[in-house]
Amino acid sequence: MGEAGAATGSLAGPEADPEAEAAKLLPFLAPGARADLQTAAARHVLALTGSGPGRTLLAGQEALLRALVELAAAPAPAPAPARDAARALVNLAADPGLHEPLLAAEPRLPARLLGRALDPQWPWAEEAAAVLANLSREPAPCAALMAALAAAEPEESGLERLVRALCTPGYNGHAPLHYLGPVLSNLSQRPAARAFLLDPDRCVVQRLLPLTQYPDSSVRRGGVVGTLRNCCFEHRHHEWLLGPEVDVLPHLLLPLAGPEDFSEEEMERLPVDLQYLPPDKQREPDPDIRKMLIEAIMLLTATAPGRQQVRDQGAYLILRELHTWEPEPDVRATCEKLIQVLIGDEPERGMENLLEVQVPEDVEEQLQQLDRQEQEQCVREQQERELSPEPQAEGAAPT
Amino acid sequence: MEQPAPDAAGDEAMDAFLEKFRSQPYRGGFREDQWEEEFAKIPLFMKQAPSEVDPRENPDLACLQSIIFDEERSPEEQAKTYKDEGNDYFKEKDYKKAVISYTEGLKKKCADPDLNAVLYTNRAAAQYYLGNLRSALNDVTAARKLKPCHLKAIVRGALCHLELKNFAEAVNWCDEGLQIDAKEKKLLEMRAKADKLKRTEQRDIRKAKVKEKKEQNQNEALLQAVKARNIKLVSEAAGEDEDSASECPGELFLDGLSSGNPCGARLSVDDQGRLSWPVLFLYPEYAQSDFISAFHEDSRFIDHLMVMFGETPCWDLEQKYCPDNLEVYFEDEDRAELYRVPPKSTLLRVLQHPRYFVKALTPAFLVCVGSSPFCRNYLQGRKVHQSFLASWLGRSC
Repeated sequence: MGEAGAATGSLAGPEADPEAEAAKLLPFLAPGARADLQTAAARHVLALTGSGPGRTLLAGQEALLRALVELAAAPAPAPAPARDAARALVNLAADPGLHEPLLAAEPRLPARLLGRALDPQWPWAEEAAAVLANLSREPAPCAALMAALAAAEPEESGLERLVRALCTPGYNGHAPLHYLGPVLSNLSQRPAARAFLLDPDRCVVQRLLPLTQYPDSSVRRGGVVGTLRNCCFEHRHHEWLLGPEVDVLPHLLLPLAGPEDFSEEEMERLPVDLQYLPPDKQREPDPDIRKMLIEAIMLLTATAPGRQQVRDQGAYLILRELHTWEPEPDVRATCEKLIQVLIGDEPERGMENLLEVQVPEDVEEQLQQLDRQEQEQCVREQQERELSPEPQAEGAAPT
Repeated sequence: MEQPAPDAAGDEAMDAFLEKFRSQPYRGGFREDQWEEEFAKIPLFMKQAPSEVDPRENPDLACLQSIIFDEERSPEEQAKTYKDEGNDYFKEKDYKKAVISYTEGLKKKCADPDLNAVLYTNRAAAQYYLGNLRSALNDVTAARKLKPCHLKAIVRGALCHLELKNFAEAVNWCDEGLQIDAKEKKLLEMRAKADKLKRTEQRDIRKAKVKEKKEQNQNEALLQAVKARNIKLVSEAAGEDEDSASECPGELFLDGLSSGNPCGARLSVDDQGRLSWPVLFLYPEYAQSDFISAFHEDSRFIDHLMVMFGETPCWDLEQKYCPDNLEVYFEDEDRAELYRVPPKSTLLRVLQHPRYFVKALTPAFLVCVGSSPFCRNYLQGRKVHQSFLASWLGRSC
């Protein structure tokens, strides 16, 4: 987790008082300090953030944190150490224990980082977005971020700016802004964000749909798919989502589809986006994202009309092929469950909306028991396959 | 209104004026027989303005026009007048005249960018209805340069791109417009429509590609089958050179396979992997021909001849073309030699003959009545290989 610049050894010598040492860095981080000293100090702090004890140490240094934030969010032209300061913040924010100290040091942190992340000229906008992505995983900072977004209005909705920054290629010439994906995904856990995304009088969620196929970043793709999945919890919007104004289902199925050779008759049953896919069509490579896609479709089958629409749009064909191909056991299990829903009988009266069904306690317990068993099974299978380890995922800041 | 001061002189003049009517008839009134026409000439009561204003016919109208189109008014005023005129024509769906009016307004080059933007946008709308989509796009682009947030220009531009089937551009324009007004209904509708059409178009391209690939594979398989049988093909272009026959590039033949011949028949393969050829029978005696669209390679010449000549054809004046009398030959054009084809041979055997070259993927054969004078004449003076087998084995007959 987190990328470290230099080794951590230089500062954490057992004989010196680490906190005093850390405090010594403070003047060098201040805005007026000499550039080369600022750079070195920032690099030291970055090194500290690479380890648990280092982060804990910094947690107690409120003044230092504030100076770090000032450096990271310094106005343009950005000084060279701003990037290391931002990366330090990324590592700190990845640790939930640091959230409270960070917000205490600078209560306006979310707002300031938001400004930097959405500034088309800011060179370290990606780092700012990554900090926000890490922060917004916890409810308190997420709420603070929502508040910051709301405060950006009335001129232009803050969320609109965020969506625009995410959906416009080349919004920021220096930074790709992939981490705005996870930011949006975290925000979409809040009803107010979902209400904006799913506003039928606007065109918001529609602009996210093509990003499920974004080839250059699984961070961005994962964020968008997570957002869509969270939106699918709003069952009142299902008809609109599945209808022609949004047409969400093909965009969820497309990453799950491979270069299948369907018969002409089967092909005509599929949505337009899934017909006649070229022989080099690749499925979504990240299994977690595949799982989220299936979960999103599963949510759309909660109501009877939704189920019917999902069936009518040929989802079964795609999922059938996916199931044959799927190498990951837990994704395959999720796929199976969805197939069961699609080909199974309709539930009895009173259970039309599966999201609203009251499950009796004993049944609930049984289901959880089954879940646990299945989970153990998956873990066993996973361990068996660990004999041939796969390469590590990229080590950038966690989402 | 002000109360006029009592004017004794005015009263007297009035009385005198009124007195006149008692003695003299009023001459300024309408003529009874054409009062409707005269009525319609008064600008206030006109139902329809004349397209050309002739000052002699309509002096009042000409007068009014000269007031509103007076060159001494400011460019802004004049431009606005032209804009209004154009709008009126637009309402009447006279789009050509509307364009002219808007153009006149733009010519004034007034300093008001809003007015010019509106002129451009309105002209674009008129051009749109006239079907001049590119002109319309030029106009909305000009309008947006003057006023980037002019929503009507953006809507019109998106409509143009939609008509021109530039679906991706249409979506982009809608998105730009939605940044100005996120809830604009027309833009939301157009965006959804354009997006769907774009995705359908992409599907159509993919479908065509798949079809093309399939056809290509089929054609290659056909060529392979022909090659595997050692049948020699000659393209129409090459023809003469014996050496080039075997080296002709596959593409020429593939094209021939795709296009088939004028009757639409083409080389095909059945489920058992057997070929059927389109075959031409030529009857030099009467300059006639017969075309068999699908001659199965394992069927024999005699089988076809029995069917074709079950009844003698109408051009057979001597009624001698019966299956038993017929002799079939093929010509080696290179050497100008003829080879006799035994009627009980299958097509495949003949096509595999070392001196048989299939031209334009359509094998051709000559048929005449062996004992006839024509046939004897025809064969005379030419080298004819009577023994099929011997000729195959390379021995002279």
